[in-house]
Formats: sequence, C-alpha cells, structure tokens
Amino acid sequence: MTSPVSAVVDASTASFQFPEIYSFPPFFTRQPNEATWKEQRRQWCDLILAYYRHNRLFSMSLAEAVTEPPFANRQIHRALRVDVLREIVDELVKQGHASWTGARNSKDSCLLFWRKPEVWASMIHQWANDRGMLNTVLTLFELASGDDTIGQEFHGLDSTTLRKALDILQSQGKAQLFVGTSDEDLGVKFFT
Amino acid sequence: MRRAVGIGGLRRKEAERQALSRKGNELAQREIEKLQEQISLMKDNLEDFVREHQKDIRNNPVFRVQVQRMCQLIGVDPLASRKGYMAELLGVGDFYCELGIQIIDICVATRSMNGGLMDLDELRQRLIRKRLKGSEPVVEDDIRRAINQLKPLRGGYRIVTFGKRKMVQSVAREMNPDQSTMLTLAEYTSKFNIEDVRVAFGWDEDRIHSCIDDMLRSGIIWIDSHNDAHPEYWVPAFFSQLSGGSFGNRG
Repeated sequence: MTSPVSAVVDASTASFQFPEIYSFPPFFTRQPNEATWKEQRRQWCDLILAYYRHNRLFSMSLAEAVTEPPFANRQIHRALRVDVLREIVDELVKQGHASWTGARNSKDSCLLFWRKPEVWASMIHQWANDRGMLNTVLTLFELASGDDTIGQEFHGLDSTTLRKALDILQSQGKAQLFVGTSDEDLGVKFFT
Repeated sequence: MRRAVGIGGLRRKEAERQALSRKGNELAQREIEKLQEQISLMKDNLEDFVREHQKDIRNNPVFRVQVQRMCQLIGVDPLASRKGYMAELLGVGDFYCELGIQIIDICVATRSMNGGLMDLDELRQRLIRKRLKGSEPVVEDDIRRAINQLKPLRGGYRIVTFGKRKMVQSVAREMNPDQSTMLTLAEYTSKFNIEDVRVAFGWDEDRIHSCIDDMLRSGIIWIDSHNDAHPEYWVPAFFSQLSGGSFGNRG
C-alpha cells in the first residue's frame, strides 16, 4: 500500500495523522449536494476535534485558522474558505463541541470543546476529590497552571473553558466560586 | 420367389436392426447407469474430500476457488447455496452469507462518501480488515459470489467496469451511458474537467453539464472549485484506490 501524500505538514503537526480525505482536493470545496455536504461536514468536525485535541488547542480565530493546517493543506495547495469553516463551526456549536466567542453574531472566533465542559467538570471534581482538595479554596490559576495539576489532562485548560466547567459544578452544588480582583484570582471550593 | 426372398430378407434385416437397436439401447442404458454410478461415486468422493478439507476451504482462497470449479464441472455447487446439502454439511454457505452482509455494511457506511461506487479491490481490503479476527482471506471470486447472492434483495449490488477498473455499485439506479463514459476519463487520475470531456467526446455544453449535475447529485463525483473558472470533478471511488484505501473513517 502506498501513501502518496505524507500526513506530516510541519513541525507543530509532526505526529498528527491526517485522515485520507485530507489529501482529497474537493474536501476543501463545499459540496453542492446536501447528502455529500453532510458527510463532508461530519468529516471536518471529526478532523477539527481530533487535531485540536492532539495539539491541545482551545480556541480558534477563523480568519487565521484557514491559513494553517488542518484548514489549509500546503501539499495540495488547497484551503477551506472562511464562510465554509463558519458553517462547520456552526455544526460543532450545535453538537456542543464549540461555542462562538467575540462580538455577538460576528462568528469570527470560537472555543472548541474537544472534551465537553461537562467532562472537564467531572474530571476536575474527581481530581479534587482524589487529592483531598475538597473544602479547600483554590485559585483558578492554581487549577489550570499550578504544580498540583501537572500531568492532569485539564492542566493548561484555557480560562473560559475552565470557567464553564466550574460553573457547571457550581450549578450541581459541587463547587462554589469566589470572585477575586481578576479572573486569575478567582477562587473555587469543591464539595462532595 | 425372388419377391418372397426379398420380403423375407427385408424382414430378417428389419428384425436384425431391431435386435441391434435393442442391444444398442441396452448398452447405452447400461453406459448411462455406469456413468451415473461413477458420478455419484465422484460426488461421494468429493463430499468426503470437501468434508476432510473443510478447514482449508474456509481458510485458503485459492483452494476454495479450485474446489468450486471442480464441483461446478460435475454439477454440484457446495459452496454457493446455503440450502444445498453439502453447504449444510460444511457450513460453507454461511461464508458467502456472512460476506454478503459485510459487503452491504461497508457499502452503506461509505455511500455518502462515494455515491455508492467503490473499487472492487478497496472493498476487498476493507473486508479483510473487517474480518481480521476470523482471518479467512477473501478473493475477488468470493466477492462476486457473495454479490450474486445479494441479487434477490434488489439492492442494486453489481460489479461494473470503467476501462480497466472493476467497481462495485451498490445503488439501484443505473448509471446512464454518458455517465459511465465520462467516468472513464478519470480512470487513472481520479478527476476530469469540462474541457477534458469536450476534447475526448465532442459533447456540447448542455450534455456535459446535465451529466455532471446528475453525478454530483448522486454523490459519485465531488467538485473542486479551487480554480473557480475551471472546476475539476473528482471521483472519490477512484481516488481512494490511489491512496491505498482507508478513505473515510467508517466501515
């Protein structure tokens, strides 16, 4: 079996294995046929989530994104158009895998949840439970960037997603948020 | 006298002819019986043989095809029919039944990708991947047989050719001759453009566009508008073969 198009595009994506369809030129043109487009969009959604997860990326500026992998394939000189990407992100939003950020209805940037906030929430709560951190006040900075969470999957989580996860825990009565002077000062206390 | 002798002679000859013919029939009858006996002996032997080599038949595709040919020659088809006495004896009819279901599975899962058209060899590779655990290799002949068995389902499963490419089509609607002709342009490169069609077949714009639109609608081709003025049309079923065939995530 041959693999005519190498999956490796540049250093930042060195170990990411692109799917076969990534080297299929029409993949970068929105297909006019509805059934085909649905399949195409599904494949883009899968690819985006896999790629962002692999590189632990949490947010996307659409105009910038289309100049880089996975939205541009330099080897076959194809790139997705911003309006098509916007349609795809709309679908991710509908699935709960993304949420638009920035100015209302501008749809220029978004957060990507390759893990849904609910999953981050239970992961964080589990960690607090395991480490005996219940009923202790922690800052959000400590949670995302502190030494205690090194090696945890949520280590390095962007602040908006982290906040979403903690909001969920708060609404479940499993956490209480304390307002600080800035977002990084924000504190949280976990309960069982 | 001469007349009487003549008549007697004729009668004698007639009687001899009849006796000979009786004998002949008798001999032929005996010959047929003997042949039938031999064939039934052969069937018995074949049955023993198949029973003995059941495992090889299931596991070795070359051997399986040879046994099949041998059986067909004497009018036994032990592997093709699920209900056949030998099939029951062997359980090999299940092999094609199972294969047929797997073929449907793969074709349905990839249909939105390729419009129901898949390279025969890609299908074979996917089948092999799908069947990893049981590890019974699958050859083209097996796929043909399994697809033949799917006919009563009227799913439109059939093997079609474009130039040298053998493809499995899995939608009931037939491709019209223009579509098939156009697809041959993509046989090696997986793609074509309007100019290619014009040069190759001399069709007018209307004919070309209506054909392309039909195929876009059925998902057999995808459009690449990278060059807006001169879009290219790609055949995913051909492309996936180029790249060794793990196109699409499903199946």
